Amino acid sequence: MKRMIIPVLSLTTAIFLLGITGCKPKNAGSAAAGDAASRVYVAPGKYDEVYNFVSGGFSGQVTVYGLPSGRLLRTIPVFSNDPQTGYGYSENTIPMLNTSHGFVPWDDQHHLEISQTNGETDGRWLFANANNTPRIARIDLTTFRTAEIIEIPNSAGNHSSPFITENTEYVVAGTRFSVPMDNDNGDVPIDTYKKNFKGTVSFIKVDPNSGNMDIAFQILLPGVNFDLSHAGKGPSHGWFFFSCYNSEQAHTLLEVNASKRDKDFIMAVNWKKAEEYLKQGRGQKQKVKYAHNVYSDDTHQATSTIKDEVIMLDATQFPDLVYAMPCPKSPHGCDVDPTGEYIVGSGKLAALIPVFSFSKMTKAIEAKDFDGDYEGIPVLKYESVLHGEVQKPGLGPLHTEFDGKGNAYTSMFLSSEVVKWSIADLKVLDRAPTFYSTGHLMVVGGDSKKPYGKYLVAYNKITKDRYLPTGPELNQTAQLFDISGDKMKLLLDFPTAGEPHYAQAMPAEKIAAKSLKIYDLMKNKNPFVTMGEKESRVERKGNRVDVYLTMIRSHFSPDNIEGIKVGDEVYFHVTNLEQDWDLPHGFAIKGANNAELLVMPGETQTLKWVPEVSTIFPFYCTDFCSALHQEMQGYIRVSPKGSNVPISFSLGKNSDATVEPEASK
Amino acid sequence: MKKILIACSAALFMMSCGGPEGGYQAKEGDETAEKPTIEEYDPHRGEGKFKDYQPSAALNASMAESGEKVYDLKCASCHKLSAEMLVGPGWKGVTERHSPDWILNFMTNTDAMLDKDPKAQAMLEICMVRMPNQNLSDDDAKDIFEFMRKNDGVK
Amino acid sequence: MKTKHLSGLQKILVAVSAVMLVVVLFVPLWKILLYAPQYPEGLTLKMYPHKLGGDVEIVNGLNHYIGMKTLHTEDFIEFTVLPYIIAFFALFAIIVLLVNRRGLLNVLFYSFLLFGIVAMVDFYRWEYNYGNDLDPTAPIQVPGMSYTPPLIGYKELLNFQAYSWPDVGGILFFGAGLVLMGAVVLSWIDKRKKRI
Repeated sequence: MKRMIIPVLSLTTAIFLLGITGCKPKNAGSAAAGDAASRVYVAPGKYDEVYNFVSGGFSGQVTVYGLPSGRLLRTIPVFSNDPQTGYGYSENTIPMLNTSHGFVPWDDQHHLEISQTNGETDGRWLFANANNTPRIARIDLTTFRTAEIIEIPNSAGNHSSPFITENTEYVVAGTRFSVPMDNDNGDVPIDTYKKNFKGTVSFIKVDPNSGNMDIAFQILLPGVNFDLSHAGKGPSHGWFFFSCYNSEQAHTLLEVNASKRDKDFIMAVNWKKAEEYLKQGRGQKQKVKYAHNVYSDDTHQATSTIKDEVIMLDATQFPDLVYAMPCPKSPHGCDVDPTGEYIVGSGKLAALIPVFSFSKMTKAIEAKDFDGDYEGIPVLKYESVLHGEVQKPGLGPLHTEFDGKGNAYTSMFLSSEVVKWSIADLKVLDRAPTFYSTGHLMVVGGDSKKPYGKYLVAYNKITKDRYLPTGPELNQTAQLFDISGDKMKLLLDFPTAGEPHYAQAMPAEKIAAKSLKIYDLMKNKNPFVTMGEKESRVERKGNRVDVYLTMIRSHFSPDNIEGIKVGDEVYFHVTNLEQDWDLPHGFAIKGANNAELLVMPGETQTLKWVPEVSTIFPFYCTDFCSALHQEMQGYIRVSPKGSNVPISFSLGKNSDATVEPEASK
Repeated sequence: MKKILIACSAALFMMSCGGPEGGYQAKEGDETAEKPTIEEYDPHRGEGKFKDYQPSAALNASMAESGEKVYDLKCASCHKLSAEMLVGPGWKGVTERHSPDWILNFMTNTDAMLDKDPKAQAMLEICMVRMPNQNLSDDDAKDIFEFMRKNDGVK
Repeated sequence: MKTKHLSGLQKILVAVSAVMLVVVLFVPLWKILLYAPQYPEGLTLKMYPHKLGGDVEIVNGLNHYIGMKTLHTEDFIEFTVLPYIIAFFALFAIIVLLVNRRGLLNVLFYSFLLFGIVAMVDFYRWEYNYGNDLDPTAPIQVPGMSYTPPLIGYKELLNFQAYSWPDVGGILFFGAGLVLMGAVVLSWIDKRKKRI
């Protein structure tokens, strides 16, 4: 009988051990589609199908990727200075980063929008917001350079920006932090939030030809946090929708205190009405201070102008200007479908996705179907404006994009997935896990009237084990999905720069065809251009020295400069005489406290340099330009203060001065 | 049975071999379009747009004047007007060494000529720097040619 | 026959169970594994006889989103009492060996069984309380959702997959029970043999 006990004991032990090993879950690693490799393979020398513009978040820059390969094509300096190109360091570009707070060489770049015509991406400009010191930039997509930056007054944290109307009539800005208005006394106790803190949304007019921006008007709104926005299109053209949270009006521990109410709002702004009121002269002029910076491709020079006035419309004084649509639990994403009829709010703490109907909204407004008001803004009845709710979509819905075939794709932060659902019947059709915790997602042309579809990219907040480890700091990661079929298919992971938030993409043709190759030297209107080596020279005016320097493969002219003194303010005006594509020359000088210059063919850029010791300083070309690139160099002799060495400069005079000239002693 | 299996896997294999659809292709990048037609290379004329260019017998002074301006901006960095070599050869006598077509084609179709022309390649071996494409218009090139003639004593 | 006394095998079994219980004092009894997309490497909660271990701080950080109370060793009387009870049973087993009476072995086994059942009920009770006693002002509220982890096995809690299993200590604890049961069964067999 004893013999029985041992088998019984060992059996039970075995069951336990089985249980232990059996409780390990399936590996979270994902299976990519079987033909993923061939779907993302772009052969050497071939071009990608799509340009993908990705916001850089805390890098302050914008990156450009090719899809489907995920290859990084370019980093565009926008709100942060960039030592490799000299952006924000050269005299030409320093004014671009000027603000009412002075020179601000960093920002947090969240959202992007490609300019549109008739609601379709037209590839002319790319707008980018700065979240920290409120600004909007316009990037010229022929040069892939920042062409203009405008600061937003009466704002703190420009988050719901830079979304545009369907013909790029306006680009908008909405304040994330409500604050006292610039013109009011801002020295108030923080706990007077309800009384003194206000929100604004700004409408910035975009010139249809030049793209130049100008603040048309601002709308004064209750003090809440404005989060995201999108313009109406088609039937809803003329309206703009802003999601907002913190209707609790908390000013501390928002994590808890701004999450109490069951519903916050999507504010529907009738901007066509605002235009009428503006025409009637009913806006209030307000004293403010903001910078407007423009870069000219003719003069190769940025100028910064400080402006001092905006026109304000107080929403509470115009009852048909703004309506509040209740939206569950701290809405984040606010996305309008391609038909312009449906507005998707994504309550990041909600367990469902509400979809609002524009036609129901206009009917409810006509019928005055209100549920009281919020701080003077009429609140529409939730049920009257609701198309329906997507039930059990997943956890932590954030952003929604569209494929133009009646489907919507929503990113789920908490449950880390992309969920595809049908707009018409609000049924979940498919879900794909993401690695890990997706913030924004993007479909090619996914917020336009005519999405290109085909690809979806999820921009994930957490990377962890997806790539080889690189210490505690990891690049963020993006994931490319094929959405052409019924089921989403994972094709590719690729690391990104900074912290991508929103992104934009469009087919390559339009942009590639217009891409500029060189700056025409004949049209260079820079005041310090050197038109040919014959004109290269060095001029002194007091302690300011202007060096008119040219570059061509592979020498500078002049390359021997004497007569500079310690403490002189030396300006190198460097002109690249090349006229061939992809032949920049770099300019770097020892001891420079700023950066190098990277000068494109036909371009003139200026670097300031103040030598602090008397010695010989070398300078050289940093961009490998030809077989004789290492020979592309020069010397500058810096003499002590008060020295009487005259200004002299030369190129190609190779002599051995065994006896030093008198003047140098 | 085996045959069916093989057929199936072959079909699968072929499906998986399908490359990406679409993809942007710039017209210039189209390699097949650029293949030259089978034609004897004419070292006297070079290769490019210009053929049988006939300069006027006497110098066109206004053309030569505009040519000098372009020279100062785009050529003088590397070419002296004397026979002395700087980065590239000096221009003294250039209109006697080459035909008008050859010079004009080399100015406007530099890269192609450097890849093909024996005389251009011989110069490259001496100079070590490929002549940059300076984005000259046809008229610029003719003006410069006129300025070269002036430099060579044509009146 | 001295049927009142323990046989040689029974002595060995009781001794083994005493040793197992002593080991239980130093190793984790139970573990709860939590996997979520954001935590591909998983989060572990380990219950020792005297404390909570593992990623307690991270789990507490997450709990506040759904309004769950944070976990602290000091909040549980169990972690004060449990080591003494386990030590008591280890000591009891040694006493059974010394006294060498089958009657006392039975007392040991049935009291141990009772304790085991009470312990599991208690464990379930506090899991239930934690999963259901939620802060009504929590940022994330899913109607009808509770977050009681499974007593044993697998359960999905929002974006987390939760697995609850005995750890080394738990296995040893059950093992000690089974070994004691074996000793008791041996007494029955002896009795039956005598009748025959």
